[in-house]
Amino acid sequence: MAASDSPSAALRRRDLCSRGIRLAGKMRSDVVDLLDTYVERQGLDASASVVAVEGVPAAAVERWDEQTGTQRLLENLAAYRAFRALLAQMLEEQREQLGEADAALGRALAAVLLQVSAFAYHLEELLRLESHGPPSEEGASPPPPSHLSLFEKKLRGLGVLRELAQWAVRSARDLRQIAKPSLGSSSAPSLAESP
Amino acid sequence: MFSGWNWVAHGFYLLFNICSLEVSGGLVQSCGHIIPESPVLALGSNFTALCILNESCLDFGNIYANQIIWKIKNRVVPKEQYREINRTVSSVTFNDTSSLATPLTCNILADGQIEQNIYGITVTIGLPPEKPKNLSCVVHQVSELIYPMNCTWNPGRHTFLDTQFRLKYRWPQENFPDCIPKDVNNSCTITDVQFFVNLEVWVEAANALGKAESDPLVLDPIEIVKPLSPHNLSVNSGILPTVLKLSWENRISAAVMKLKFNIRYRIIGDTNWMQVPPEDTASLRTSFSVQGLRPYTEYVFSIRCMKEDGVGYWSDWSEEKTGVTTEDKPSKGPPIWRIIDASHTPASWTVHLMWKALEPFEANGVILQYEVTVRAKSSLSSPLEKCSVNTTSLTLKLPNGTYEVTVIARNRVGPSPPSVLLIPASNSKAPVKNVRTLPKDGKLWVRWTAPNSYVLKYVIEWCLVSNSSDCIIEWQNEPGNVQGTFLKGDIKPFKCYLITVYPLYADGQGSGQSVKAYLQQDRPSKGPTVQTKKVGKAEAVLTWNHLTVDEQNGFIRSYTIFYKTVDGNETAVTVDPTKTEYTLSSLTSDTLYTVRMMAYTDEGGRSGPDFTFTTQKFGKGEIEAIVVPVCLAFLLIVLLGVLFCFNKRDLIKKHIWPIVPDPSKSNIAQWSPQVPAKHNFSSKDQMYPEGSFTDVSVVEIEADDKKSFSEQDLKPFDLLKKEKSTSEGHSSGIGGSSCMSSPRQSVSDSDEGETTQNTSSTVQYSTVVLNGYRDQTPVQVFSRSESTQPLLDSEERSEDHAGGGDSTTQRQQYFKQNGGQDETNTDRPCFERTKQITPANEGDLVGFAQLQMSGQSSQPLGLGLEKNMQEPALSDVLQTSTEGQTVRPEAVGGNPPSVDEMPKSYLPQTVRQGGYMPQ
Repeated sequence: MAASDSPSAALRRRDLCSRGIRLAGKMRSDVVDLLDTYVERQGLDASASVVAVEGVPAAAVERWDEQTGTQRLLENLAAYRAFRALLAQMLEEQREQLGEADAALGRALAAVLLQVSAFAYHLEELLRLESHGPPSEEGASPPPPSHLSLFEKKLRGLGVLRELAQWAVRSARDLRQIAKPSLGSSSAPSLAESP
Repeated sequence: MFSGWNWVAHGFYLLFNICSLEVSGGLVQSCGHIIPESPVLALGSNFTALCILNESCLDFGNIYANQIIWKIKNRVVPKEQYREINRTVSSVTFNDTSSLATPLTCNILADGQIEQNIYGITVTIGLPPEKPKNLSCVVHQVSELIYPMNCTWNPGRHTFLDTQFRLKYRWPQENFPDCIPKDVNNSCTITDVQFFVNLEVWVEAANALGKAESDPLVLDPIEIVKPLSPHNLSVNSGILPTVLKLSWENRISAAVMKLKFNIRYRIIGDTNWMQVPPEDTASLRTSFSVQGLRPYTEYVFSIRCMKEDGVGYWSDWSEEKTGVTTEDKPSKGPPIWRIIDASHTPASWTVHLMWKALEPFEANGVILQYEVTVRAKSSLSSPLEKCSVNTTSLTLKLPNGTYEVTVIARNRVGPSPPSVLLIPASNSKAPVKNVRTLPKDGKLWVRWTAPNSYVLKYVIEWCLVSNSSDCIIEWQNEPGNVQGTFLKGDIKPFKCYLITVYPLYADGQGSGQSVKAYLQQDRPSKGPTVQTKKVGKAEAVLTWNHLTVDEQNGFIRSYTIFYKTVDGNETAVTVDPTKTEYTLSSLTSDTLYTVRMMAYTDEGGRSGPDFTFTTQKFGKGEIEAIVVPVCLAFLLIVLLGVLFCFNKRDLIKKHIWPIVPDPSKSNIAQWSPQVPAKHNFSSKDQMYPEGSFTDVSVVEIEADDKKSFSEQDLKPFDLLKKEKSTSEGHSSGIGGSSCMSSPRQSVSDSDEGETTQNTSSTVQYSTVVLNGYRDQTPVQVFSRSESTQPLLDSEERSEDHAGGGDSTTQRQQYFKQNGGQDETNTDRPCFERTKQITPANEGDLVGFAQLQMSGQSSQPLGLGLEKNMQEPALSDVLQTSTEGQTVRPEAVGGNPPSVDEMPKSYLPQTVRQGGYMPQ
C-alpha cells in the first residue's frame, strides 16, 4: 500500500479502477452478446443449464464483502487468467470447427479474449500498486482436458461465457470496492460507475 | 615489320584470354569485380568503390590496376578520383553521390589501346526515412461492436527508395501485429481496438538506408472515438402546440461510453438552424422534447452525439426528420389599412378595407375566415356593421365621418386578437417629417422623423410609378416606436417608387408624406430627343420632352446639350433637369450644327439621337433693313423719274409721240342755229382761210365737265382764247378740232359779271360742216348734242342757296358770287389769262386753266380746298409754259367781250382720240 500513498499512484490506481470497471462492463455487454451468438451458431439451447465446468473459476463467493482488496484482485486475476486460456482454446476450437466460415463469432471471441486479457493487465497493475506484484501465471489454470466430445466442448464453451459474464459483474463490484477511499487512497473519490 | 605483327598477335592473344580464358564449367569468369556490389547510397554522401582484378588475368595479359578506367554510364570518371591501392586493386572516390549514375563500370585498356569492361555495378541513391510526425488516431465506429482505429501521420520527405511504413501498437503486456498501409504511406487502419486499456501506437519507417520511428502515442482508444450518430429519429407532436418530442436510438453501448447530444432544428424552408441548449442534452438519453416552437409549423430535426465527457469526436449529424406542431389561436390580428375614394359623391366615401393575411407564425393554423366590424364613432347608437369574409379586402360605402374598423382572423382553434383601424373624417393630425429613403442590402430603407405626439403605429404605402401600369398600392404597418423600416415587398431596381408614410394616432391620423425613391439607379434607357423650335442667325432654341418614368431609370439630375459644327469641337452645356427648352447662343451663321442631348442620373447618362440644323444667313430684320431702303430708293428714283418725265412730258411727247389727229374721228359741234350772227370771225379769217368751215354752233357745257375734256378737246380753246378778244365762236378750222370754246368763253364772260341769258339747261353741241382738209372731202358732220346733263351739285346747291329762280339766272348769280369771292386773288385771273396765249399744243393746259377758272367761280366755299390744291400745280404748269409765249394780258382784261358776244362753249367729246391740233 505504500505506493498508493503518492498522489500519482493514487491517480493511477483510480484510473485503473475506473477503466477496469468500464472494461468489465463492456466485457459483460460483449459476453452477453457473444452468448447469444454462440448459442445460435453452436446450435445450443439458450436455456440449457450447464453444470460447473472444470477449470472455470466460479464468480460466486461467500462473504464477498469481507474480502480485502488484494484478495479480490488476486481472485479476479486468477479467474481472468483462466478465462484467457479457456477463451483462447475456444477460439482455436472454433476455428478448427468452423474455419473462416463464421468470422463474426471468431471476431467476437477474439474481442472478448482481448478484453479479458486487458482486464487481467488492469488487475496486475493494481496488484503492483498494492506492492504485491502479480503472481506467476505458471500453474494458474490447468489446461482443459482435450478428450471432450464436440458437444461437450460446446457446452463447456457456453459455461465459460456464462461464468465470464458473472465474473464481469463481480469484477466491477470488486473494483468499486477497491476504489473506495477506505481501501485505497484517501484522496480517491468513490466511483459510482456501473456497467 | 616483324615487330608490328608481333604486337598484333599479342593483342589478339590477350583479347582471347580476357574474353574466353578462364572458361571452366561452361561459365565465363570475369577478370575482376567491384566492391561494393550494387550499393544503396545516401544522397550527398561520399562513396568509394574498389575494382579488384583477378590474379589470373595478370599473368595472361599484363593487366594491372593502373590500367583501370572508371566510367559512369559512358562518361569516364576523372583520374583524379582514382587511386591505385596495389597492382590489382583500383579505387574511385565520389565526394558527393549526387554525381553518380548507373552503371558504374570498371574498365581496362589492354596494351593501352583497347578498352575492355571488367565489371559494372548498379548504384541506387536515395535518402533514409525521416521520422514520421504528427501521428494522430481516430476510432470510427462502423457498427455497434466494431471500432476500427485509423491513424494518420506525416511520412516526411521523399526518399527515392522503397520505404516501408508500419503502424505499430501494443498493450503494455501484449504486442499486436503491425498495421501495414496499403497503397499509401501516411495512414493505416487497425481493424478493431479494445477500449479502456492504454494502447501505445507509433509509426516505423524503414528503407535500405535506415529506419525511423515516430514518437509513440499512448492513448485509450475510447478517448478518440467518433461514434455513429443516433438513428431511427422520430418526431411526434406533443400536447402543446409549441412542443415536439424527439426519439432516437443510440448505436453505441452504454457499456462502452455514455453520450451527450446536440439537437438542431429549423423551420422547413429556412436555412438557419437553431439548437437545443447543449446543457439540456448533456446526458445519455434516447428522447427529448423540444419546446418553444411555433404552432402549426413544420420543423426539421437532426441529432448527433459524442462521449459524455467531451473527450473524443462528435458523430456526424443524423438523418433529418420533420414534424409539425399543432395549431393554436392566431397570435395577432391582421394588419389593416384602407383606401378612401371620395371622388364620387362628396357626402359619402367608398372605403376599400384591406388587410394582410397573417404570416404562418402569426396565423398558427389555417385561417378560416375574417370577421370585420365597422362602427361609426360619431354616434354610439349607430348600428354595428359586421360581416365575415374569406378574402382580405372589403369595400364599403359609408357616409363621411369617423369610423372604427375591427378585423379578427379565426382558425380552427379560435379567434385572433382584434386589429383596430380608426378612419377619421380628416387627416388633421401632425404628419411625419423628413421622409427619406436609402438602399441598403438590396432593400429599400425608409426613414422619417416622428412627430412630437405619441404615434400608435405607422403605415407605409408605396407603389411602382410607371407609364405602363397604374399605381398599385402596397402597404405595411410599423410600430409607433420606430422611425425607419425596410419595405417588405418585391422592390425592383431601376424602378421609381412613390412612398408615403402615415402616422396613426389613437384618436386620428396624420396626413401622408411622400417621397420618390429608387432601390438602384441606372443610366437612362434612352436620351432625350432634341429638336429646334426656332433657328436664328446666331442662336437656336432647342426643345425636348422629358423622359418618361420608365425610361429614366433614376432621378434625372441634369441634361447636357452637346453641339458642334461639322469640323468643330463639341461644346457641352449643362441644363437644369426641369427645363424643356434651351437657347443656344453665339452660334455661327449659316452653319450646320449637330446637336444631341444626354440625360444624367446618378449612375451616368445616355445620349439621345443627333439632330442637325443650320443657322440662318441673316438675322432677324437684316433683310428688312436691306430691302426696305432699296425699295424706298427705287421708289424714290421712280418717283423722281416720273416727276422728271412729267415735267418734261411735252418734250418727251414731242420726241416720242407727236400727236397726229385723226381727221376721220374729228367732230365738230353743230352750231346752234340761233346764234350764228353773234360770232365774229374777223380775226379768224386771218388765221384760217375763208370757207374752212361753214358754221359753228356754240355749245354750253358745264364747268365741271372737265373730266370729259381731253387734251385734244381742249386744244381748240387755245385758239379760241387767242381769238377771244376779237372773235368768238370760230372753229379750229379743221373739222375735228373745231374747238369752239364758247363754254369757256361764256364762263369767262360770266367772270366778267355778265349774266348768261340761257334759258335752257341743255347743252347744244354744234355740228361742224367741214369743207375738207387739204382737198379732202369733208364727211364729218357734228350733230348738236341734246344732252340733258344735269347741273353740278355745287351749282344745284348754289341754286338752293339762291332761293329759287330759273336755273340760268341762278347760275349767273352764282358765278358772280364766286367771282366776288375770288377777288382777293386779283392776280390769279390775270395770271391765268396769260395761259390762254400759250401755243396751241399746250391748249389742254390752257383749257384746263380755263376750266379751272370756271370751276373756281362755280365752286362753293366748301370746295375751296380743292381749288387751292389745284392751283399750285396749275400755277407750276403755267409758269413753265409761259416762256417764249406771247402774253397779252391786257387784251384779255382790257377788252372783255360782251355777254352777247360770248360764244357758246362746246365740248367736242369725240375729238379725244385722234383729234388734230395744228402745230
